[in-house]
Amino acid sequence: MNMDKHGSKNFLLRHETILFVALVAEWIFFDAVGHNFGTYDNSCDILRHSCEIGLLALAMTPIILTGGIDLSVGSLLGLCAILFGKFWRDAGMPIPVAAVCTIGIGALAGGFNASLIAWLRLPPLIVTLGTFSLFRGLAEAITHGVDTFTDFPNSFLFLGQERWLGIPSQAPIFIFAAIFFWLLVHRTTFGRSFRAIGFSPEGTRFAGLPVARRVAMVYVLAGIVSAIAAIIYTARLGQAKADAGTGYELFAITAVVLGGTSIFGGIGSIHGTVLGVAAIAVLHSGIAHALLPGEMAGMLTGVLLILALAGSILPKMISGLCARKSAPRLAKQIS
Amino acid sequence: MKKYFRELSVAATLAILLLALAIFAPPFFQPQPLLSLVTREAPTLVVACGMALVIICRQIDISVGSMFAMCSVCAGLFAAMHWPLALVAAASVLIGAMFGAFNGALVAGLGLPSIVVTLATMVTWREGLRWLRQGVWVDLPNGVQWFGLPQMAGQWTLAVFALAILIFLALAMKYLSAGRFIYAVGSDAEAARLAGIRPRLTTFLVFVFLGALVGFAATMNMAQSPQVDPNSGTGLELKVIAAVVVGGVAISGGRGNLWGVFAGLLLLACISPAVTYLHIEAFWGKAMQGAIILLAVVADGLRGRKIFNHG
Amino acid sequence: MKRTFLLLLAAVITIFSGCKKNSAVPLGDNANSTPAAKKLTIAFLPKSKGNAYFVSCAKGAQRAADELGDKLIIDGPTDPDPARQNEIVENWITLGVDVIAAACENKEGISTALRKAQAKGIKVITYDADALPDARSFFVNQATPQGIGYSLMDEAARLCESNGEFAVITGSLTAENQVEWRKYVEERRAAAYPDMKNVSVQACDDLKDKAQSEATALMGAYPNLKLILSTTSLGVPGAAEAIKQAGKTGVVKNIGLGLPSENKRYVHDGVTQSVILWKTEDLGYLTVYAADALARSTLKPGDRTFRAGSLGEFQIEGDNIMLGKPFTFNKDNIDQFDF
Repeated sequence: MNMDKHGSKNFLLRHETILFVALVAEWIFFDAVGHNFGTYDNSCDILRHSCEIGLLALAMTPIILTGGIDLSVGSLLGLCAILFGKFWRDAGMPIPVAAVCTIGIGALAGGFNASLIAWLRLPPLIVTLGTFSLFRGLAEAITHGVDTFTDFPNSFLFLGQERWLGIPSQAPIFIFAAIFFWLLVHRTTFGRSFRAIGFSPEGTRFAGLPVARRVAMVYVLAGIVSAIAAIIYTARLGQAKADAGTGYELFAITAVVLGGTSIFGGIGSIHGTVLGVAAIAVLHSGIAHALLPGEMAGMLTGVLLILALAGSILPKMISGLCARKSAPRLAKQIS
Repeated sequence: MKKYFRELSVAATLAILLLALAIFAPPFFQPQPLLSLVTREAPTLVVACGMALVIICRQIDISVGSMFAMCSVCAGLFAAMHWPLALVAAASVLIGAMFGAFNGALVAGLGLPSIVVTLATMVTWREGLRWLRQGVWVDLPNGVQWFGLPQMAGQWTLAVFALAILIFLALAMKYLSAGRFIYAVGSDAEAARLAGIRPRLTTFLVFVFLGALVGFAATMNMAQSPQVDPNSGTGLELKVIAAVVVGGVAISGGRGNLWGVFAGLLLLACISPAVTYLHIEAFWGKAMQGAIILLAVVADGLRGRKIFNHG
Repeated sequence: MKRTFLLLLAAVITIFSGCKKNSAVPLGDNANSTPAAKKLTIAFLPKSKGNAYFVSCAKGAQRAADELGDKLIIDGPTDPDPARQNEIVENWITLGVDVIAAACENKEGISTALRKAQAKGIKVITYDADALPDARSFFVNQATPQGIGYSLMDEAARLCESNGEFAVITGSLTAENQVEWRKYVEERRAAAYPDMKNVSVQACDDLKDKAQSEATALMGAYPNLKLILSTTSLGVPGAAEAIKQAGKTGVVKNIGLGLPSENKRYVHDGVTQSVILWKTEDLGYLTVYAADALARSTLKPGDRTFRAGSLGEFQIEGDNIMLGKPFTFNKDNIDQFDF
């Protein structure tokens, strides 16, 4: 890896490092400006609020690494949430069984996306645009738009609302998922194949890798993760509704891109995504605690995103300039 | 025939839907409601034409909804200040073009990925507008609605505007070299550059043009009612992208034409009223929309696969 | 990789250990003032931020806060995700506000967060749309859902002479208070007006333009339609425009919940017959006065009446502070109001 060859200078200029510094600066700023921002309670709240989005962003990262995208994760969260409610309330399943069934449905839905994208080779943007409407539509149709599921047992609500060993109960799930995805993307051959597919799907196919299966894998994983996020969401809110998770996909994509993953595929990291989620969550919480209007959080997120993008192409521009400067020297050497 | 397979299959699906309506819900074809439907969708058609150009150029712009809202409110405010309507329209187009130029500068100038840039601008403009307007509507003076014409004339005017833009752009894409450039840049920017086309300028201009069309569409929308809702344009980007894609424009650029987009838009626009006319419960609407988008794309994929396997 | 990981770990530890323990640091500096004169922080939560109805409530709320000398924080969701309100409330809990006044999008969902607030000593009051009773001390009720539903149905029946077809336009299919109002509309219809038939319910996603399209389709699909009833304030002007464009002014009647300012034009043109609402500014005003009194313990459970500044006295039924009955705006009186 670059880092080992070129040492600390490269490390400091890496996207993730800069983002990390920005995150720390953000924290310090809001701690100073906001009321009760830097407290333990608030940190737990930030963690709790960002678990579902964080899970979706984690699942989105390998998808974007392969050069794809999944706009349906938010809608799938809604569908899984109401199905979970239906399994528990109407089919009378105990909570763990309902959870397993929901995760199964999530995997199936992800599989549906996967079959269209990996085997029929349809563009992910369009397929997931279609399933974005379809999943939400199914959720609305099943509940007739009006049905909601509530009165879950306290033992279940513990997952979303209480603390376990001092940290929010859903945090261990997120941490586990983060470690899982980090290992998958950065330490396995699967992860390397994702990047390869992102750089060049044809080349990877000719290199003998089962591209279709790998691509299918990332979408199915996203389906499973959406279902898990749906269960946590329901526990946190104490209610399952058809419009759960509206807008989460864009939030997730923002976090992933903020974290340095290229939307074209091939480049990116899980720790970048985690930092991206943290940066946005801290921003939203900080704005609220600084008593600034909520719209500012959205606007600043947009600005942050553009700055992050512009920042990521700076090294290319700089090296482009340097290359042009050294070109006459090279020409002299050759002639 | 084969070249226009997608466009024809969309038209065929539309025909089937219309046939079903003719059999089960003939009232759909009454002239006044149909005209109202067409007029309602006219601004969307204009934006869809612009979006098609952007997608053919291998980019995308998901900020059109927020741009539309901004331009609508600005146009409304100018009209409320009793500016002449032509000036209001010009101002709206200019403001839209400015937003488009901002997107274009970041995408073409800095080489940033369009989906993320427009995601950022979408959120920024939308939240900014919400903060400024706080949901308050703009009341328009008399004489703005339907451009001061009687209702039927006004509706026909708007419909004709939209169709004129569609026809002009469809022909331009085929016969003007500027249109050819867009296809070229969309299929292979490097080859286009070597052939003497300037891909970055083309990309930039395509975004500006989309912005201008959005501004014009906003004026068309404003002229349809006596008030401007700052939340108008919500969901526009999805509607338009779906119409463009269902209409056969390839998301990878370089392929597609505006007639398909027209058919795609009509198809998607008819779903919601069809649900009402066929006495289907309202909550099936979204599911049907998603299903149609998927069907259109799957049909394309299957056909492509057949060709791939046989070719 | 190792360097990144270590750095991240170091940062997380630093952040968490650097956190101050949440010592209920209230907003404002009241160390020297007596408890009664303390400046309170009231957090006002609308259902959504960009909604003219809530903007109007907030105006009244701000007026009340200014009169009382309290600090008013207004924040609300800008997108339809149900979890947003919870997150805002939880932020307020860590902020340390004194009392929260909430209009609840999701009864059960928001109660989770409101109960937490109560556990931390923050008083909770609801307005416009209630939470679960154990999650708040009082509900400032502009009119019971039953009152709203019945008023709408009664007005519809009056205009249709108690027979015929009518359709309903709602904001979204999932908004709970609208679901409740529709339930009472149906209840009233079944009990008192069996000859009236509700042929369709369409959602307009709280968009005026979409309401217009839906109304156009409804009139076409049901040629015998006599009336369109909107349970969202975005529906009435949209439907009115559709009726006007279809040339069916007076043939298809138009009523619903809505702000007078957005409907004046159509009421005067005879397109919209009546708009039902309540004084939204008064609702906000009363809510803030009640919130203030609750926090200062001058308003206690079991009270029968409550005095709110310049508005006078209000009845309390159980734990509902009643603003009054729904008010019908029509041609005769709509000009008197400017909200």
